[in-house]
Amino acid sequence: MSNKEDILKKYRANVREKYDMPDLSDIKGVTYPEPLVQFVKMSEKVGGQVIEVDRERDVNVLIRQLFPEAKEIASNLPEITIATRNPDTVGRARDLNGTDIGIIRGQFGVAENACIWIPQTMKEKAVMFISENLVILLPKSQIVNNMHEAYKRIQFDETYDGYGTFISGPSKTADIAQVLVMGAQAARSATILLLPE
Amino acid sequence: MSTAHSKAAKAFLKNQTYAKWHDATFWSVRSKRDNMAYDLDEWEQLREKASAIKRHTITHLDEYLDQFATNAEKNGCIVHWAKDANEFNEIVYGILKNHNVKKMVKSKSMLTEECEMNPYLEAHGIEVVETDLGERIIQLKGQKPSHIVMPAIHLNHDDVGELFEEKLGSEKGNHDPTYLTYVARLSLRNEFLTADAGMTGANFGIAETGDIVVCTNEGNADMSTSCPKLHIAAIGLEKIIPNYDCLAVFQRMLCRAGTGQPTTTYTSHFRKARPTANPMHIVLVDNGRSEWIGNPEHWEALKCIRCGSCMNTCPVYRRSGGYSYSYFIPGPIGINLGMLRDEQQHSGNVSACTLCLSCQTVCPVKVNLGDQIYQWRQQLDEFGTANPQKKLMCKGMSMVYGSKGVYNLGTALAHWANIIPSPLMNCGLNPWAEGHKMMKFPKKPFHKLIKDLEK
Repeated sequence: MSNKEDILKKYRANVREKYDMPDLSDIKGVTYPEPLVQFVKMSEKVGGQVIEVDRERDVNVLIRQLFPEAKEIASNLPEITIATRNPDTVGRARDLNGTDIGIIRGQFGVAENACIWIPQTMKEKAVMFISENLVILLPKSQIVNNMHEAYKRIQFDETYDGYGTFISGPSKTADIAQVLVMGAQAARSATILLLPE
Repeated sequence: MSTAHSKAAKAFLKNQTYAKWHDATFWSVRSKRDNMAYDLDEWEQLREKASAIKRHTITHLDEYLDQFATNAEKNGCIVHWAKDANEFNEIVYGILKNHNVKKMVKSKSMLTEECEMNPYLEAHGIEVVETDLGERIIQLKGQKPSHIVMPAIHLNHDDVGELFEEKLGSEKGNHDPTYLTYVARLSLRNEFLTADAGMTGANFGIAETGDIVVCTNEGNADMSTSCPKLHIAAIGLEKIIPNYDCLAVFQRMLCRAGTGQPTTTYTSHFRKARPTANPMHIVLVDNGRSEWIGNPEHWEALKCIRCGSCMNTCPVYRRSGGYSYSYFIPGPIGINLGMLRDEQQHSGNVSACTLCLSCQTVCPVKVNLGDQIYQWRQQLDEFGTANPQKKLMCKGMSMVYGSKGVYNLGTALAHWANIIPSPLMNCGLNPWAEGHKMMKFPKKPFHKLIKDLEK
């Protein structure tokens, strides 16, 4: 088997001219007068549903109202009292299959493309993908303009420091005859609950 | 005088209804890309930066690869190095064998196509299940991708419906894309739950953190790594970039350029295995890249981020389809990568270009695709793949255009060709007549016309 040094040596020997790293500090990334408004607009455009939650409202009651048929609800969030499964305590990741609603927390949203940064904060990340419907709790004050700002602030969880993802809307595909279908292999719907601080 | 590409394109063009749909579909993807680009004032600035970042990175790749591997190992990943396709396949099989894997789910990876990994693993008794819907369709059909981002674009919903009736037991006659997608979802869900390993490719590797970044709309890379106990990531050397600031530039462009979406649904960062899984393996693959960087005219092909925008816009790709090209990556970038791989085998593709340069106008990292194709054409004689008929014609033309006397005599006599009966002129012996009608020569040549006017 080849080793790292052989490959790197060969590569190094074949490089002809070296180029400098460009200055990226002058990139004029798009900004919005009201990032939250743009974030909501984009979330809907990519097939998500956005609901602003009043301070008085209990998210548990709201989620129940949104998904009256749901039986299996998976979450490890302390404020979620309606969960029937916990991704921290399931025996195997696959035991989360059949989850009707997965409820997770997002750190911040990105106005330009509706991405929400979600570091893994549970033992089994499967809950983010295997659930039929995904509900993301997001503090509405936490919206940045664009991905340049986003990548300056992403952080992984201290305990589950191996994975994080940006999610923008539900799973989708257009692989059959270019017809857009929501719900390919992961969540078939994405609902974002914008929470007051 | 037809090239391998144009002969293959003939088969594609037989079904005119489909050929028109294919052309229009890709033009609409191109238009969506334009809307995305026009929507951002900084788009051209981003292209400039993206190109410069790539130029810097691939000419310092030894340093960034070292940094990436060091950080990935620090994170607890096991990093492997493969010099070619064969070694890559052996490494992957070795890992799977050690973990006693019988079935592996995988997300889309052009690198595994390049290395022909699936047939290798299958020959060694491992079941490989593609989980991107388009890839799954062509896997069930026993075909290869016809586009790098939309691999099953050559099939319509009836083709897929009939395939699923046979392979997945879907309802007879129900060819609705929403229904068929649901059927595939159920079938793949079972595969995700029962696989022993999951493989992903990588859109980017981040030197500063050791992250592997995978972008999908379906969430299949995330599903592939959420249940199985083992994750193997396959990544070509050139996919490594320095840091998150650079990633922000590419993340913003990849999907806007490729499919005309503001982002993929998922942009996932894999830094190490899940707490309940075995350590993650990363296989870094050279397979020619360390040679291509030394090619003075074509090294910039290594800047490519595989968005597919060059094929979406290409008037030849749109009208000839992915299977007309001999290399597994079609379109402008595929022509160039194919020539870097094997110029004898793939020089038939260099004719699949009108030199309109639309590809390099849309390329988000400014690879000079059309210019490179032009360069390859100049070298065909060296490769021994120049067309002998065209060579003879060029010799003839040099003689005619090189001598004023011969040229004037020729143009003066040309109109006599008009009286040759049409069936003799418009026949298989005259290559010009293929696809065009033979032109009529004027009685008075252009030079004579001008001279008469000047009188």
